[in-house]
Amino acid sequence: MRMRSTKHGVPPSLSRACLSVLSLVACGMWLALAQEDTAAKPQLPQLPKVARPPAAQPQVGLATDAHLNKTPPRETKGLDLVKLGWTYNCMECHKLLKQPRWHYDRPMVEHQDVKLQHGNNRFCLNCHHPTNRNAFVDYDGSEIQEADVVLLCAKCHGTTYRDWQAGVHGRQNGYWNKEMGESTKLRCIQCHDPHHPAFQPMKPLPPLRYPPRAAGGSARSSGESGTHP
Amino acid sequence: MSDAPKNIVSPQTIEQVYKPMNRRTFLKGTAGAMVGMAGLVAALKPLLALEKGEISLDDLLQKHYRQLSPEDLQRIMTMLEKRCEKQYGVRPTIQDLKPMDGVQFGYALNLTRCVGCRKCAHACLAENNQSRDYDDDLSMSYIRVLEMNKGAINLETSTAYYDPELVPQKDKYYMPVQCHQCKDSPCTKVCPVQATWQEKDGIVVVDYNWCIGCRYCMAACPYDARRFNYQKPTIKPEAINRNQDYLSNRIRPKGVVEKCTFCLQRTRAGKYPACLEVCPTGARVFGNVLDPNSEINYILNNKRVYILKEDVGTLPRFYYYFDV
Repeated sequence: MRMRSTKHGVPPSLSRACLSVLSLVACGMWLALAQEDTAAKPQLPQLPKVARPPAAQPQVGLATDAHLNKTPPRETKGLDLVKLGWTYNCMECHKLLKQPRWHYDRPMVEHQDVKLQHGNNRFCLNCHHPTNRNAFVDYDGSEIQEADVVLLCAKCHGTTYRDWQAGVHGRQNGYWNKEMGESTKLRCIQCHDPHHPAFQPMKPLPPLRYPPRAAGGSARSSGESGTHP
Repeated sequence: MSDAPKNIVSPQTIEQVYKPMNRRTFLKGTAGAMVGMAGLVAALKPLLALEKGEISLDDLLQKHYRQLSPEDLQRIMTMLEKRCEKQYGVRPTIQDLKPMDGVQFGYALNLTRCVGCRKCAHACLAENNQSRDYDDDLSMSYIRVLEMNKGAINLETSTAYYDPELVPQKDKYYMPVQCHQCKDSPCTKVCPVQATWQEKDGIVVVDYNWCIGCRYCMAACPYDARRFNYQKPTIKPEAINRNQDYLSNRIRPKGVVEKCTFCLQRTRAGKYPACLEVCPTGARVFGNVLDPNSEINYILNNKRVYILKEDVGTLPRFYYYFDV
Protein backbone atom coordinates (compact mmCIF):
# COMPACT_ATOMS: atom_id res chain seq x y z
CA MET A 1 0.00 0.00 0.00
CA ARG A 2 2.69 2.40 0.98
CA MET A 3 4.79 1.37 -1.95
CA ARG A 4 1.95 2.06 -4.30
CA SER A 5 1.09 5.40 -2.78
CA THR A 6 4.67 6.57 -2.90
CA LYS A 7 4.79 5.49 -6.49
CA HIS A 8 1.86 7.79 -7.24
CA GLY A 9 3.49 10.64 -5.40
CA VAL A 10 1.33 10.71 -2.23
CA PRO A 11 3.41 11.45 0.83
CA PRO A 12 3.65 8.42 3.13
CA SER A 13 2.50 10.42 6.13
CA LEU A 14 -0.88 11.14 4.50
CA SER A 15 -1.57 7.52 3.63
CA ARG A 16 -0.63 6.47 7.15
CA ALA A 17 -3.17 8.96 8.52
CA CYS A 18 -5.86 7.56 6.23
CA LEU A 19 -5.14 4.04 7.36
CA SER A 20 -5.46 4.97 11.00
CA VAL A 21 -8.79 6.74 10.47
CA LEU A 22 -10.15 3.75 8.59
CA SER A 23 -9.12 1.34 11.28
CA LEU A 24 -10.79 3.53 13.92
CA VAL A 25 -14.08 3.49 12.00
CA ALA A 26 -13.88 -0.27 11.55
CA CYS A 27 -13.30 -0.77 15.27
CA GLY A 28 -16.31 1.41 16.12
CA MET A 29 -18.60 -0.53 13.83
CA TRP A 30 -17.44 -3.84 15.18
CA LEU A 31 -18.01 -2.67 18.74
CA ALA A 32 -21.51 -1.45 17.96
CA LEU A 33 -22.47 -4.70 16.29
CA ALA A 34 -21.00 -6.75 19.08
CA GLN A 35 -22.95 -4.77 21.68
CA GLU A 36 -26.20 -5.32 19.88
CA ASP A 37 -25.51 -9.02 19.54
CA THR A 38 -24.84 -9.43 23.21
CA ALA A 39 -27.75 -7.23 24.30
CA ALA A 40 -30.94 -8.74 22.80
CA LYS A 41 -30.20 -11.14 19.97
CA PRO A 42 -33.58 -10.53 18.27
CA GLN A 43 -34.63 -13.13 15.78
CA LEU A 44 -34.73 -11.06 12.65
CA PRO A 45 -37.35 -12.19 10.19
CA GLN A 46 -36.07 -13.80 7.05
CA LEU A 47 -35.83 -11.14 4.40
CA PRO A 48 -38.28 -11.79 1.61
CA LYS A 49 -37.00 -12.24 -1.86
CA VAL A 50 -38.25 -9.34 -3.93
CA ALA A 51 -38.38 -10.49 -7.49
CA ARG A 52 -37.93 -7.06 -8.91
CA PRO A 53 -37.45 -3.79 -7.11
CA PRO A 54 -40.52 -1.67 -7.78
CA ALA A 55 -38.55 1.25 -9.11
CA ALA A 56 -37.09 -0.85 -11.91
CA GLN A 57 -40.33 -0.57 -13.78
CA PRO A 58 -41.00 -2.80 -16.70
CA GLN A 59 -40.98 -1.24 -20.10
CA VAL A 60 -44.36 0.20 -20.96
CA GLY A 61 -45.63 -1.20 -24.23
CA LEU A 62 -43.81 -2.84 -27.08
CA ALA A 63 -40.27 -2.14 -28.13
CA THR A 64 -41.44 -1.64 -31.71
CA ASP A 65 -43.55 1.33 -30.68
CA ALA A 66 -40.69 3.75 -30.19
CA HIS A 67 -42.57 6.41 -32.12
CA LEU A 68 -45.33 6.61 -29.51
CA ASN A 69 -44.95 8.80 -26.46
CA LYS A 70 -45.47 6.30 -23.66
CA THR A 71 -44.36 8.43 -20.75
CA PRO A 72 -44.05 6.32 -17.62
CA PRO A 73 -47.19 6.79 -15.58
CA ARG A 74 -45.38 7.65 -12.40
CA GLU A 75 -41.98 9.15 -11.80
CA THR A 76 -40.56 7.15 -8.94
CA LYS A 77 -38.79 9.32 -6.45
CA GLY A 78 -36.25 6.68 -5.53
CA LEU A 79 -35.05 6.19 -9.05
CA ASP A 80 -31.73 7.92 -8.37
CA LEU A 81 -31.16 5.69 -5.39
CA VAL A 82 -31.79 2.64 -7.53
CA LYS A 83 -29.19 3.79 -9.99
CA LEU A 84 -26.77 4.02 -7.10
CA GLY A 85 -27.40 0.40 -6.27
CA TRP A 86 -30.12 0.77 -3.62
CA THR A 87 -32.29 -2.29 -3.70
CA TYR A 88 -35.25 -1.11 -1.63
CA ASN A 89 -34.30 -3.47 1.13
CA CYS A 90 -35.90 -1.52 3.95
CA MET A 91 -34.69 -3.94 6.58
CA GLU A 92 -31.11 -2.87 6.03
CA CYS A 93 -31.89 0.05 8.28
CA HIS A 94 -34.95 -1.18 10.12
CA LYS A 95 -33.24 -4.23 11.54
CA LEU A 96 -31.16 -1.84 13.64
CA LEU A 97 -34.28 -0.31 15.13
CA LYS A 98 -36.28 -1.70 17.97
CA GLN A 99 -39.60 -3.39 17.62
CA PRO A 100 -42.01 -0.75 16.39
CA ARG A 101 -45.16 0.26 18.12
CA TRP A 102 -48.20 2.04 16.82
CA HIS A 103 -47.44 5.73 16.80
CA TYR A 104 -50.26 8.07 16.18
CA ASP A 105 -48.55 11.38 16.78
CA ARG A 106 -44.85 10.69 16.62
CA PRO A 107 -43.04 13.15 14.37
CA MET A 108 -41.04 11.33 11.77
CA VAL A 109 -37.30 11.73 11.80
CA GLU A 110 -36.65 9.85 8.59
CA HIS A 111 -38.86 9.66 5.53
CA GLN A 112 -39.75 13.30 5.84
CA ASP A 113 -40.31 13.49 2.12
CA VAL A 114 -43.41 11.37 2.57
CA LYS A 115 -46.49 13.57 2.71
CA LEU A 116 -49.29 11.18 3.38
CA GLN A 117 -52.41 12.32 1.52
CA HIS A 118 -54.37 9.12 1.26
CA GLY A 119 -57.72 10.27 2.59
CA ASN A 120 -58.76 8.51 5.76
CA ASN A 121 -55.77 6.23 5.58
CA ARG A 122 -53.42 8.24 7.79
CA PHE A 123 -51.18 5.70 9.51
CA CYS A 124 -48.00 4.12 8.22
CA LEU A 125 -48.75 0.72 9.69
CA ASN A 126 -52.12 0.51 8.01
CA CYS A 127 -50.17 -0.64 5.00
CA HIS A 128 -46.59 -1.30 6.10
CA HIS A 129 -45.86 -4.41 8.07
CA PRO A 130 -44.85 -3.58 11.64
CA THR A 131 -41.90 -5.96 11.84
CA ASN A 132 -40.94 -6.66 8.27
CA ARG A 133 -40.65 -3.39 6.45
CA ASN A 134 -40.04 -5.15 3.15
CA ALA A 135 -43.61 -6.35 3.20
CA PHE A 136 -47.09 -4.99 3.64
CA VAL A 137 -49.61 -6.03 6.21
CA ASP A 138 -52.83 -7.93 5.66
CA TYR A 139 -56.01 -7.79 7.76
CA ASP A 140 -54.78 -10.53 10.09
CA GLY A 141 -51.26 -9.18 10.45
CA SER A 142 -49.74 -11.57 7.98
CA GLU A 143 -47.40 -10.34 5.32
CA ILE A 144 -48.22 -9.29 1.79
CA GLN A 145 -45.13 -9.44 -0.34
CA GLU A 146 -44.08 -6.38 -2.21
CA ALA A 147 -44.75 -7.98 -5.56
CA ASP A 148 -48.36 -8.59 -4.47
CA VAL A 149 -49.00 -4.97 -3.62
CA VAL A 150 -52.27 -5.20 -5.54
CA LEU A 151 -53.66 -7.37 -2.76
CA LEU A 152 -52.83 -4.67 -0.25
CA CYS A 153 -54.75 -2.02 -2.17
CA ALA A 154 -57.60 -4.46 -2.67
CA LYS A 155 -58.17 -4.43 1.08
CA CYS A 156 -60.02 -1.15 0.68
CA HIS A 157 -60.47 -0.67 -3.06
CA GLY A 158 -62.33 -3.87 -3.80
CA THR A 159 -64.36 -2.68 -6.76
CA THR A 160 -61.31 -1.16 -8.38
CA TYR A 161 -59.44 -4.39 -7.81
CA ARG A 162 -62.22 -6.28 -9.53
CA ASP A 163 -61.99 -3.95 -12.51
CA TRP A 164 -58.21 -4.30 -12.55
CA GLN A 165 -58.49 -8.07 -12.58
CA ALA A 166 -60.82 -7.85 -15.55
CA GLY A 167 -58.29 -5.61 -17.29
CA VAL A 168 -60.53 -2.56 -17.26
CA HIS A 169 -58.93 -0.38 -14.62
CA GLY A 170 -55.44 0.86 -15.29
CA ARG A 171 -53.13 0.85 -18.17
CA GLN A 172 -52.57 -2.12 -20.43
CA ASN A 173 -50.09 -2.27 -23.25
CA GLY A 174 -49.06 -4.74 -25.87
CA TYR A 175 -51.48 -7.18 -27.45
CA TRP A 176 -55.25 -7.27 -27.06
CA ASN A 177 -55.16 -10.75 -28.57
CA LYS A 178 -53.52 -12.89 -25.93
CA GLU A 179 -52.85 -15.63 -28.46
CA MET A 180 -50.69 -13.38 -30.60
CA GLY A 181 -48.63 -11.76 -27.89
CA GLU A 182 -48.40 -10.64 -24.32
CA SER A 183 -49.88 -7.60 -22.73
CA THR A 184 -48.38 -5.84 -19.75
CA LYS A 185 -50.68 -4.87 -16.96
CA LEU A 186 -49.31 -2.31 -14.56
CA ARG A 187 -49.73 -2.71 -10.83
CA CYS A 188 -51.34 -0.05 -8.62
CA ILE A 189 -48.22 1.71 -7.41
CA GLN A 190 -46.72 1.95 -10.85
CA CYS A 191 -49.24 4.68 -11.64
CA HIS A 192 -50.41 5.85 -8.23
CA ASP A 193 -48.06 7.21 -5.61
CA PRO A 194 -49.32 5.21 -2.63
CA HIS A 195 -48.79 8.15 -0.30
CA HIS A 196 -50.71 10.46 -2.63
CA PRO A 197 -52.79 8.24 -4.89
CA ALA A 198 -54.73 10.92 -6.73
CA PHE A 199 -53.26 11.79 -10.11
CA GLN A 200 -51.55 15.13 -10.30
CA PRO A 201 -52.84 17.58 -12.90
CA MET A 202 -50.65 17.53 -15.96
CA LYS A 203 -49.72 19.82 -18.79
CA PRO A 204 -51.82 19.11 -21.87
CA LEU A 205 -50.11 18.64 -25.20
CA PRO A 206 -50.47 21.46 -27.74
CA PRO A 207 -54.02 22.10 -28.89
CA LEU A 208 -55.58 22.18 -32.28
CA ARG A 209 -55.05 25.67 -33.63
CA TYR A 210 -57.89 27.67 -35.02
CA PRO A 211 -58.29 27.05 -38.69
CA PRO A 212 -57.17 30.08 -40.72
CA ARG A 213 -60.63 31.20 -41.73
CA ALA A 214 -61.72 31.40 -38.14
CA ALA A 215 -58.50 32.92 -36.86
CA GLY A 216 -59.48 36.43 -37.88
CA GLY A 217 -60.74 38.51 -34.97
CA SER A 218 -64.19 39.23 -36.32
CA ALA A 219 -65.10 35.64 -37.00
CA ARG A 220 -64.24 34.56 -33.48
CA SER A 221 -65.49 37.50 -31.46
CA SER A 222 -68.82 37.69 -33.25
CA GLY A 223 -69.63 34.10 -32.39
CA GLU A 224 -72.18 33.57 -29.69
CA SER A 225 -70.10 31.40 -27.40
CA GLY A 226 -66.73 31.90 -29.00
CA THR A 227 -65.93 28.24 -28.68
CA HIS A 228 -66.67 27.01 -32.13
CA PRO A 229 -64.92 28.63 -35.06
CA MET B 1 -123.95 18.36 -82.97
CA SER B 2 -122.05 20.64 -85.23
CA ASP B 3 -120.64 19.61 -88.54
CA ALA B 4 -117.58 21.71 -88.15
CA PRO B 5 -114.48 19.60 -88.75
CA LYS B 6 -112.15 19.10 -85.82
CA ASN B 7 -108.39 19.24 -85.65
CA ILE B 8 -107.97 21.69 -88.38
CA VAL B 9 -104.31 22.62 -88.63
CA SER B 10 -103.60 26.14 -89.59
CA PRO B 11 -101.63 26.35 -92.79
CA GLN B 12 -97.86 26.55 -92.27
CA THR B 13 -95.18 27.94 -94.41
CA ILE B 14 -92.34 25.72 -95.59
CA GLU B 15 -89.91 27.70 -93.39
CA GLN B 16 -91.97 26.84 -90.37
CA VAL B 17 -91.84 23.13 -91.08
CA TYR B 18 -88.26 22.72 -92.22
CA LYS B 19 -86.27 25.16 -90.09
CA PRO B 20 -83.42 26.47 -92.14
CA MET B 21 -80.15 27.45 -90.52
CA ASN B 22 -80.10 31.07 -89.69
CA ARG B 23 -77.73 33.16 -87.59
CA ARG B 24 -79.49 32.35 -84.32
CA THR B 25 -79.49 28.58 -84.70
CA PHE B 26 -75.92 28.58 -85.94
CA LEU B 27 -74.68 30.45 -82.85
CA LYS B 28 -76.67 28.21 -80.58
CA GLY B 29 -75.20 25.09 -82.10
CA THR B 30 -71.69 26.44 -81.99
CA ALA B 31 -72.01 27.39 -78.34
CA GLY B 32 -73.33 23.93 -77.52
CA ALA B 33 -70.44 22.31 -79.30
CA MET B 34 -67.96 24.52 -77.48
CA VAL B 35 -69.41 23.59 -74.08
CA GLY B 36 -69.24 19.93 -75.03
CA MET B 37 -65.63 20.23 -76.07
CA ALA B 38 -64.75 22.07 -72.87
CA GLY B 39 -66.40 19.36 -70.86
CA LEU B 40 -64.46 16.71 -72.69
CA VAL B 41 -61.21 18.51 -72.10
CA ALA B 42 -62.00 18.94 -68.43
CA ALA B 43 -62.86 15.26 -68.13
CA LEU B 44 -59.58 14.28 -69.71
CA LYS B 45 -57.55 16.73 -67.66
CA PRO B 46 -56.31 14.10 -65.19
CA LEU B 47 -54.46 12.61 -68.10
CA LEU B 48 -52.15 15.62 -67.95
CA ALA B 49 -50.84 14.20 -64.70
CA LEU B 50 -49.73 11.19 -66.71
CA GLU B 51 -47.41 13.41 -68.71
CA LYS B 52 -45.97 14.95 -65.59
CA GLY B 53 -45.35 11.52 -64.10
CA GLU B 54 -47.44 12.18 -60.99
CA ILE B 55 -49.54 9.13 -61.66
CA SER B 56 -49.05 6.11 -63.81
CA LEU B 57 -51.31 4.36 -66.25
CA ASP B 58 -51.75 1.68 -63.62
CA ASP B 59 -53.35 4.22 -61.31
CA LEU B 60 -55.93 5.14 -63.89
CA LEU B 61 -56.74 1.55 -64.78
CA GLN B 62 -56.66 0.20 -61.23
CA LYS B 63 -59.70 -1.71 -60.06
CA HIS B 64 -61.56 -1.36 -56.80
CA TYR B 65 -59.76 -2.85 -53.81
CA ARG B 66 -62.27 -5.67 -53.44
CA GLN B 67 -61.89 -6.69 -57.08
CA LEU B 68 -58.11 -6.77 -57.05
CA SER B 69 -56.33 -10.07 -57.33
CA PRO B 70 -53.64 -10.67 -54.69
CA GLU B 71 -50.92 -10.32 -57.33
CA ASP B 72 -52.28 -7.01 -58.54
CA LEU B 73 -52.59 -5.71 -54.99
CA GLN B 74 -49.04 -6.75 -54.23
CA ARG B 75 -47.83 -4.99 -57.34
CA ILE B 76 -49.72 -1.82 -56.40
CA MET B 77 -48.40 -1.85 -52.86
CA THR B 78 -44.83 -2.23 -54.10
CA MET B 79 -45.44 0.67 -56.44
CA LEU B 80 -46.78 2.77 -53.56
CA GLU B 81 -43.71 1.93 -51.49
CA LYS B 82 -41.44 3.05 -54.30
CA ARG B 83 -43.40 6.23 -54.80
CA CYS B 84 -43.25 7.05 -51.11
CA GLU B 85 -39.51 6.55 -51.16
CA LYS B 86 -39.22 8.85 -54.14
CA GLN B 87 -41.44 11.58 -52.73
CA TYR B 88 -40.66 11.44 -49.01
CA GLY B 89 -37.28 9.73 -48.87
CA VAL B 90 -38.47 6.87 -46.67
CA ARG B 91 -39.24 3.36 -47.81
CA PRO B 92 -42.21 2.02 -45.84
CA THR B 93 -43.51 -1.53 -45.63
CA ILE B 94 -47.06 -1.55 -46.93
CA GLN B 95 -49.04 -4.65 -46.15
CA ASP B 96 -52.64 -5.71 -46.45
CA LEU B 97 -53.91 -7.28 -43.26
CA LYS B 98 -57.22 -9.06 -43.63
CA PRO B 99 -59.92 -9.11 -40.94
CA MET B 100 -59.66 -12.00 -38.52
CA ASP B 101 -62.35 -14.61 -38.19
CA GLY B 102 -64.58 -14.34 -35.14
CA VAL B 103 -63.45 -10.83 -34.34
CA GLN B 104 -65.49 -7.67 -34.17
CA PHE B 105 -63.78 -4.75 -32.58
CA GLY B 106 -65.21 -2.59 -29.86
CA TYR B 107 -63.76 0.42 -28.12
CA ALA B 108 -64.72 1.95 -24.81
CA LEU B 109 -63.56 5.15 -23.20
CA ASN B 110 -63.87 6.00 -19.53
CA LEU B 111 -65.14 9.55 -19.20
CA THR B 112 -64.43 9.48 -15.46
CA ARG B 113 -60.76 8.80 -16.04
CA CYS B 114 -59.96 10.92 -19.07
CA VAL B 115 -57.98 13.99 -18.05
CA GLY B 116 -57.84 15.68 -21.45
CA CYS B 117 -54.07 15.52 -21.91
CA ARG B 118 -54.40 15.03 -25.70
CA LYS B 119 -51.75 12.30 -25.78
CA CYS B 120 -54.11 10.15 -27.85
CA ALA B 121 -54.59 12.84 -30.49
CA HIS B 122 -50.84 13.27 -30.88
CA ALA B 123 -50.17 9.53 -30.87
CA CYS B 124 -52.66 9.28 -33.72
CA LEU B 125 -50.44 11.61 -35.72
CA ALA B 126 -47.33 9.61 -34.91
CA GLU B 127 -48.96 6.38 -35.97
CA ASN B 128 -51.09 7.25 -38.96
CA ASN B 129 -48.89 9.48 -41.13
CA GLN B 130 -51.31 12.37 -41.42
CA SER B 131 -50.34 15.53 -43.22
CA ARG B 132 -48.82 18.14 -40.92
CA ASP B 133 -47.93 21.73 -41.67
CA TYR B 134 -45.88 21.87 -38.48
CA ASP B 135 -44.89 19.26 -35.93
CA ASP B 136 -47.87 19.56 -33.60
CA ASP B 137 -50.47 20.23 -36.24
CA LEU B 138 -53.54 18.44 -34.95
CA SER B 139 -55.84 19.48 -37.78
CA MET B 140 -55.63 16.08 -39.49
CA SER B 141 -55.61 14.01 -36.31
CA TYR B 142 -58.52 11.59 -36.15
CA ILE B 143 -59.19 12.41 -32.51
CA ARG B 144 -60.71 15.61 -31.22
CA VAL B 145 -60.61 15.97 -27.45
CA LEU B 146 -63.56 18.09 -26.37
CA GLU B 147 -63.60 20.01 -23.14
CA MET B 148 -67.10 19.81 -21.72
CA ASN B 149 -68.82 21.64 -18.89
CA LYS B 150 -69.67 19.39 -16.00
CA GLY B 151 -73.30 18.68 -15.42
CA ALA B 152 -74.42 17.71 -18.90
CA ILE B 153 -73.19 16.16 -22.11
CA ASN B 154 -73.65 19.26 -24.23
CA LEU B 155 -71.56 19.38 -27.36
CA GLU B 156 -72.67 22.89 -28.17
CA THR B 157 -70.77 24.40 -25.27
CA SER B 158 -67.74 22.18 -25.77
CA THR B 159 -64.45 23.24 -27.27
CA ALA B 160 -61.52 21.42 -28.83
CA TYR B 161 -59.22 24.43 -28.54
CA TYR B 162 -58.78 24.52 -24.76
CA ASP B 163 -55.25 25.21 -23.60
CA PRO B 164 -54.99 25.72 -19.83
CA GLU B 165 -51.78 25.34 -17.88
CA LEU B 166 -52.90 22.11 -16.30
CA VAL B 167 -55.63 19.58 -16.99
CA PRO B 168 -58.10 18.49 -15.76
CA GLN B 169 -59.78 21.75 -14.85
CA LYS B 170 -62.12 21.64 -11.88
CA ASP B 171 -65.43 22.32 -13.59
CA LYS B 172 -64.66 20.50 -16.83
CA TYR B 173 -64.51 16.99 -18.11
CA TYR B 174 -63.08 15.73 -21.35
CA MET B 175 -64.48 13.66 -24.17
CA PRO B 176 -62.26 12.46 -26.99
CA VAL B 177 -64.26 11.88 -30.16
CA GLN B 178 -63.05 9.77 -33.05
CA CYS B 179 -64.60 7.46 -35.64
CA HIS B 180 -67.27 5.32 -34.00
CA GLN B 181 -67.11 2.61 -36.71
CA CYS B 182 -70.90 2.54 -36.85
CA LYS B 183 -72.68 -0.69 -37.69
CA ASP B 184 -75.23 1.31 -39.68
CA SER B 185 -72.76 3.80 -41.05
CA PRO B 186 -74.15 6.76 -42.99
CA CYS B 187 -70.78 7.57 -44.52
CA THR B 188 -70.64 4.33 -46.48
CA LYS B 189 -74.21 4.73 -47.71
CA VAL B 190 -73.67 8.11 -49.32
CA CYS B 191 -70.45 7.29 -51.15
CA PRO B 192 -71.30 7.53 -54.86
CA VAL B 193 -68.44 5.25 -55.92
CA GLN B 194 -68.40 2.82 -52.98
CA ALA B 195 -64.88 3.80 -52.07
CA THR B 196 -65.68 3.34 -48.38
CA TRP B 197 -67.24 0.28 -46.80
CA GLN B 198 -67.42 -1.73 -43.64
CA GLU B 199 -65.10 -4.68 -43.22
CA LYS B 200 -66.01 -7.97 -41.60
CA ASP B 201 -64.49 -6.98 -38.27
CA GLY B 202 -66.53 -3.78 -38.18
CA ILE B 203 -63.92 -1.29 -39.28
CA VAL B 204 -65.01 1.26 -41.86
CA VAL B 205 -62.21 1.69 -44.37
CA VAL B 206 -61.51 3.83 -47.43
CA ASP B 207 -59.82 2.73 -50.62
CA TYR B 208 -57.74 5.86 -51.07
CA ASN B 209 -57.03 4.96 -54.67
CA TRP B 210 -60.75 4.75 -55.43
CA CYS B 211 -62.00 7.82 -53.53
CA ILE B 212 -62.93 10.73 -55.76
CA GLY B 213 -62.90 13.31 -52.99
CA CYS B 214 -66.53 14.41 -53.15
CA ARG B 215 -66.70 14.60 -49.33
CA TYR B 216 -70.28 13.37 -49.12
CA CYS B 217 -69.11 11.06 -46.34
CA MET B 218 -67.79 13.97 -44.32
CA ALA B 219 -71.16 15.64 -44.55
CA ALA B 220 -72.93 12.44 -43.57
CA CYS B 221 -70.79 11.65 -40.52
CA PRO B 222 -72.37 12.75 -37.23
CA TYR B 223 -69.05 12.54 -35.36
CA ASP B 224 -66.77 14.72 -37.52
CA ALA B 225 -64.55 11.69 -37.92
CA ARG B 226 -63.29 12.15 -41.45
CA ARG B 227 -60.53 14.38 -42.73
CA PHE B 228 -59.90 15.61 -46.25
CA ASN B 229 -56.50 16.05 -47.87
CA TYR B 230 -56.83 19.51 -49.35
CA GLN B 231 -53.19 19.40 -50.39
CA LYS B 232 -50.48 16.88 -51.05
CA PRO B 233 -49.68 15.54 -47.58
CA THR B 234 -46.71 17.22 -45.96
CA ILE B 235 -44.84 15.09 -43.46
CA LYS B 236 -41.24 15.05 -42.38
CA PRO B 237 -39.31 11.89 -43.31
CA GLU B 238 -38.33 11.21 -39.71
CA ALA B 239 -41.98 11.42 -38.66
CA ILE B 240 -43.14 8.72 -41.06
CA ASN B 241 -44.28 5.47 -39.51
CA ARG B 242 -42.98 2.72 -41.78
CA ASN B 243 -45.42 0.08 -40.63
CA GLN B 244 -48.19 0.85 -43.08
CA ASP B 245 -51.32 -0.79 -44.37
CA TYR B 246 -53.01 -0.29 -47.71
CA LEU B 247 -56.39 0.49 -46.16
CA SER B 248 -55.14 2.39 -43.17
CA ASN B 249 -52.12 4.54 -42.59
CA ARG B 250 -50.22 4.67 -45.84
CA ILE B 251 -49.54 8.22 -46.92
CA ARG B 252 -52.66 9.36 -48.71
CA PRO B 253 -52.71 11.11 -52.07
CA LYS B 254 -54.06 14.62 -52.45
CA GLY B 255 -57.83 15.02 -52.71
CA VAL B 256 -59.04 11.96 -50.82
CA VAL B 257 -60.83 11.49 -47.53
CA GLU B 258 -59.15 9.62 -44.71
CA LYS B 259 -60.35 8.37 -41.35
CA CYS B 260 -59.64 6.44 -38.18
CA THR B 261 -59.42 2.69 -38.72
CA PHE B 262 -58.81 1.71 -35.08
CA CYS B 263 -55.17 1.49 -36.27
CA LEU B 264 -55.94 -1.66 -38.21
CA GLN B 265 -52.27 -2.07 -39.11
CA ARG B 266 -51.83 -2.72 -35.38
CA THR B 267 -55.13 -4.21 -34.26
CA ARG B 268 -55.31 -6.80 -37.01
CA ALA B 269 -51.84 -7.87 -35.90
CA GLY B 270 -53.22 -8.33 -32.38
CA LYS B 271 -51.86 -5.13 -30.85
CA TYR B 272 -53.69 -2.31 -29.13
CA PRO B 273 -54.37 0.89 -31.07
CA ALA B 274 -51.87 3.71 -30.69
CA CYS B 275 -54.26 5.97 -28.80
CA LEU B 276 -54.76 3.29 -26.17
CA GLU B 277 -51.04 2.62 -25.86
CA VAL B 278 -50.26 6.17 -24.80
CA CYS B 279 -53.24 6.91 -22.56
CA PRO B 280 -51.63 7.76 -19.20
CA THR B 281 -54.73 7.03 -17.14
CA GLY B 282 -55.83 3.83 -18.81
CA ALA B 283 -59.13 5.37 -19.80
CA ARG B 284 -59.31 3.45 -23.04
CA VAL B 285 -60.33 -0.19 -23.41
CA PHE B 286 -60.22 -2.11 -26.66
CA GLY B 287 -61.09 -5.64 -27.55
CA ASN B 288 -63.10 -8.24 -29.38
CA VAL B 289 -66.83 -7.93 -28.76
CA LEU B 290 -67.45 -11.51 -29.84
CA ASP B 291 -65.13 -12.86 -27.16
CA PRO B 292 -67.25 -13.18 -23.98
CA ASN B 293 -64.16 -12.88 -21.76
CA SER B 294 -62.79 -9.76 -23.37
CA GLU B 295 -62.34 -6.51 -21.51
CA ILE B 296 -64.75 -4.67 -23.74
CA ASN B 297 -67.47 -7.18 -22.90
CA TYR B 298 -66.80 -6.70 -19.20
CA ILE B 299 -67.58 -3.02 -19.66
CA LEU B 300 -70.67 -3.57 -21.73
CA ASN B 301 -71.97 -6.00 -19.11
CA ASN B 302 -70.99 -4.18 -15.92
CA LYS B 303 -70.64 -0.46 -16.52
CA ARG B 304 -72.95 2.40 -17.28
CA VAL B 305 -72.41 2.89 -20.98
CA TYR B 306 -73.20 6.06 -22.87
CA ILE B 307 -73.41 6.23 -26.64
CA LEU B 308 -72.77 9.59 -28.21
CA LYS B 309 -75.64 10.74 -30.42
CA GLU B 310 -77.43 7.46 -29.95
CA ASP B 311 -80.57 9.10 -31.33
CA VAL B 312 -79.17 9.29 -34.84
CA GLY B 313 -79.31 5.52 -34.89
CA THR B 314 -75.95 4.69 -36.40
CA LEU B 315 -75.17 1.93 -33.86
CA PRO B 316 -71.60 2.85 -32.99
CA ARG B 317 -68.91 0.41 -31.89
CA PHE B 318 -67.41 3.11 -29.72
CA TYR B 319 -68.78 3.44 -26.22
CA TYR B 320 -68.27 5.91 -23.43
CA TYR B 321 -68.69 4.71 -19.89
CA PHE B 322 -68.49 5.93 -16.33
CA ASP B 323 -66.85 4.61 -13.21
CA VAL B 324 -67.57 5.45 -9.60
